[in-house]
Amino acid sequence: MNNQEVEVEEGRTLLDAARALSIEIPTLCHHRAVPPAGACRICVVEVKGGGRPGLVPACAYPAQEGLVIETDTERVLASRQMTLRLLLARCPDSEVLKELAERYNAEPLPLEQKDDKCIMCGLCVRVCREVIGPSATCFTGRGADRTVSTPYKMLSDVCIGCGACAFLCPTGAIDPAEFCTHPLEKIPNEFNCGQDFRTPIHVPFPQAVPNKPVIDKDNCIHFKTGKCGACKSICPAGAIDYDMEDETVEEKVGAIIVATGYEMIDPAVYEEYGYRRYPDVLTSMEFERMVSASGATDGRLLRPSNGKPPKSVVFLQCIGSREEKIGKPYSSKICCMYTAKHAVLYKHKVHDGQAFIFYMDIRSAGKNYEEFVRRVVKEKNVTYLRGRVAKVYPRGDKLVVRGADTLSGGQVEISAEMVVLAPAMIPSSGVRELAQTLRIGYDEHGFLSEAHPKLKPVETNTAGVFLAGACHSPKDIPDSVAQASAAAGKALGLVSHEQLTREPTIGVVNEQTCNGCFECKNVCAYGAIERKELRDRKGQLLAIVAHINEGLCQGCGACSVTCRSKSIEVQGFREDQLFAEINAVSR
Amino acid sequence: MSSYKQASEDASGWQPRIVAFLCNWCSYAGADLAGVSRFEYPTNVRIIRVPCSGRVDPMFVLKSFERGADMVLVSGCHPGDCHYTTGNYHARRKLLALREMMSFLGIDPRRFKMSWVSAAEGSKWSAVIRQITDEARSLGPFESFPTFTLQEVKK
Amino acid sequence: MTTVTSLTRSLREAAAQALTSGEAAVVIGYELNDGEAAAPAFVRAPEDAERLIFDESCFGNLAVYLAKEEVRRLGKLAIVVKGCDLRAINVLLRENVVSRDDLLLIGVRCSGVGRPALRKCSFCEVRDPEGCDTVVGDPPEPPPTDPGKRYAEIEAIEELSMEERWAYWQKQLGKCIRCYACRQVCPLCYCKRCIVEKSTPQWVETSPHLRGNIAWNIARGLHLTGRCVSCGECERVCPMKIPLGSLGDKMAKLVDEWYGFRSGMSADEKAPFTAWSPDDPEPGIL
Repeated sequence: MNNQEVEVEEGRTLLDAARALSIEIPTLCHHRAVPPAGACRICVVEVKGGGRPGLVPACAYPAQEGLVIETDTERVLASRQMTLRLLLARCPDSEVLKELAERYNAEPLPLEQKDDKCIMCGLCVRVCREVIGPSATCFTGRGADRTVSTPYKMLSDVCIGCGACAFLCPTGAIDPAEFCTHPLEKIPNEFNCGQDFRTPIHVPFPQAVPNKPVIDKDNCIHFKTGKCGACKSICPAGAIDYDMEDETVEEKVGAIIVATGYEMIDPAVYEEYGYRRYPDVLTSMEFERMVSASGATDGRLLRPSNGKPPKSVVFLQCIGSREEKIGKPYSSKICCMYTAKHAVLYKHKVHDGQAFIFYMDIRSAGKNYEEFVRRVVKEKNVTYLRGRVAKVYPRGDKLVVRGADTLSGGQVEISAEMVVLAPAMIPSSGVRELAQTLRIGYDEHGFLSEAHPKLKPVETNTAGVFLAGACHSPKDIPDSVAQASAAAGKALGLVSHEQLTREPTIGVVNEQTCNGCFECKNVCAYGAIERKELRDRKGQLLAIVAHINEGLCQGCGACSVTCRSKSIEVQGFREDQLFAEINAVSR
Repeated sequence: MSSYKQASEDASGWQPRIVAFLCNWCSYAGADLAGVSRFEYPTNVRIIRVPCSGRVDPMFVLKSFERGADMVLVSGCHPGDCHYTTGNYHARRKLLALREMMSFLGIDPRRFKMSWVSAAEGSKWSAVIRQITDEARSLGPFESFPTFTLQEVKK
Repeated sequence: MTTVTSLTRSLREAAAQALTSGEAAVVIGYELNDGEAAAPAFVRAPEDAERLIFDESCFGNLAVYLAKEEVRRLGKLAIVVKGCDLRAINVLLRENVVSRDDLLLIGVRCSGVGRPALRKCSFCEVRDPEGCDTVVGDPPEPPPTDPGKRYAEIEAIEELSMEERWAYWQKQLGKCIRCYACRQVCPLCYCKRCIVEKSTPQWVETSPHLRGNIAWNIARGLHLTGRCVSCGECERVCPMKIPLGSLGDKMAKLVDEWYGFRSGMSADEKAPFTAWSPDDPEPGIL
């Protein structure tokens, strides 16, 4: 092909061969998921030798021994040009066609223009028939009246609403909602804060570990109806197994690091800010996802109300932080810095946009943080207003933000096209139950308790369980990484010794006075009480008494209180020691 | 609030003596946090550290009264949060049984208090001590319990 | 003098049979005595089974002997048990003091001891003891239909004011001479070294002073919480007539009301002081 030798598996097409050589051939009606049809003729290439000479569709023509192919001859280019001109006449507004037309210099034909989106590639028909199964759509009509539709243009009983046809359609011409009798629910993409939609089988987010797709069983059509199965039939690695079950894996480990992260409060509790009432009020997380290149809008900042970039954005800090009535009394630490960052990102995307930030105090204590904020104020022309916002309400197609500016001593009203709220940071839900299982402490907000606020910031009261990140307290990435490194170091230190060193404050049984009632055994949370046989020199059994396993005992002393004959002493907290303390302090 | 320094001395110079048994992991740490955070509370309380509230035997409480305590407090982790999983549950059963027994015999059960104070609750600790010290002061010296007094020994 | 009833005959037969067959090394039962209560009998030879009696004078809770090592060393023990005694045996079984295989339980159907019958007998739910190897006696009379409230005595004390209660108990416990008869007769007080015998440190003072008496009776009351079967022997044997039964009953009422527990109903139960629930009542905890 194009004077280069190439070898492909038997049964493969010229298009596969071209791709193996990185030769680009345009396609419209071809998709690797679906058997080829050679319908659109845009992929034609010229056979120069080894077969009947002429133009053949690369997507459908099988590779053969000895074929000589040219992909960019004048004949090929002329053919593609005419194909595009004809297609454009049918679908003059199709972006896909217009792009190709530009590449191949295809001018529109002087014909009566139709206004259709469908280019009759047949991908939808083929996928529904060959891959999914129900064959809900088909080509109907003849000649100029040929269209893709359901039989008799009626609502389809067999369409399962999988959306494969819409997914493959190069021009967005088909919408199964028009003929499917099932309700088609779109699944909001959780990672993009619901700003776009995802399929049931999806990779949760670009940096997911493992970076593999997962099937959302609750929404997957195959799991709901037994049909579809498109993903399994298309997967070249055969990696999809619908029968896979959740496995409970038990691992014995020597250390656990808890890094369960954070969530944010729902700012709708502050009705005055209008979150979820006015579409242009966003949370900082929603803003972050929207400006991300991997987000729903490919990084374009657009107003949800009209899809246009906002000319003015007002950022509200401290939504729920440092607020004792219905919010959190603490500072969420990260919001001042990310709001400054968001303001800068906004100005980069909308050069003439106006950015305002309402703040209470600026917490910029990290390395170079204060300098960054200064630059945002001075160089990026972001207006910082020290005061709280009383209300956000609509006026016309904009939002009015009314707040205080305490430094100038007045009230301000800003007409904003977008409002971004910085909600308080809270520990992830379910963390209290996890903490109880791990037997570690937590405070009234659910932040996990360190063993000592100054001297043991990454350890917990339970030996072997460590903390890192926002589950411990609000913190940003550098601090989380530092804490995680410390926790990992501590954990490695724990498991890298040959012998286990432990506190000596464990229980000891007085075997002379023990009655062998074993009420202590019923009370021990660690199963540290064992039965011990006392025998005389002849081997006769004298008594069965309790014995405490030194490795398991944690020294709580519950056994010692349960023992009526006071036959168990906890070293370091012995009866006589406590008696002496009581004597000393009670007078 | 320096008012506490004056309030703890009354006309006769008598001050209530409160003996408190604190579990090491929660209440003792909470009391420590109260100190670190500079929360103020009366100095009438004397703390005995135990590994767990489950280590507190009812005989400790009785001996404290015998030796002169006007009030005894046992404080541990909140139920469900015990560092040793279940110690505070056992403490709860046994020590409340003691209080019921005391009450049955006519020994004022208000002299024996229990509380759950976690390691993060420095302010709760100081509030508890302020509250029970006030109550101990209003209850007066624990005379109905036959204490070991020096006069008795000399006799 | 007691009439030889059919119950007594069946009892003596069962005992003799146990000894003859070699199934038991000794039968622990009751025999005639000068005085109000029948005396305990240790019958080793089958012919001595004739000494055994059972009537309203059989107050004693013979389970106390099962807790004694020198008795257990005799071999497999047959024991005559009333329902109330059996409850104590269940607690001993649960606490590994004696094993069920080492016991031959001869149950007697009892309609009450004492003439008039003791108060505890009006509330007895185990007149026909269950779980014994043999049971002798006619079906017992049903308990009185209106015995009053089970814990009436306790409630009467709880109606008193604090000062009245203290005055009452000061008087009663001031009488205690620390003879420990209550401890000796109780089947569940079997510790090799009692807490009152611990001297380093000494939690309970030993001299008969009110302070130590209170500590002793509270210690005993707490040690019996969830274990005491309200057999009433402690009160019966107290030479100073201290109402010790109400201390045990008070704690029995507590575990009944707070934890739904009654001691000694089976050998498999989990005692309230070794069990817990996250929802246990916690009145007045700050």
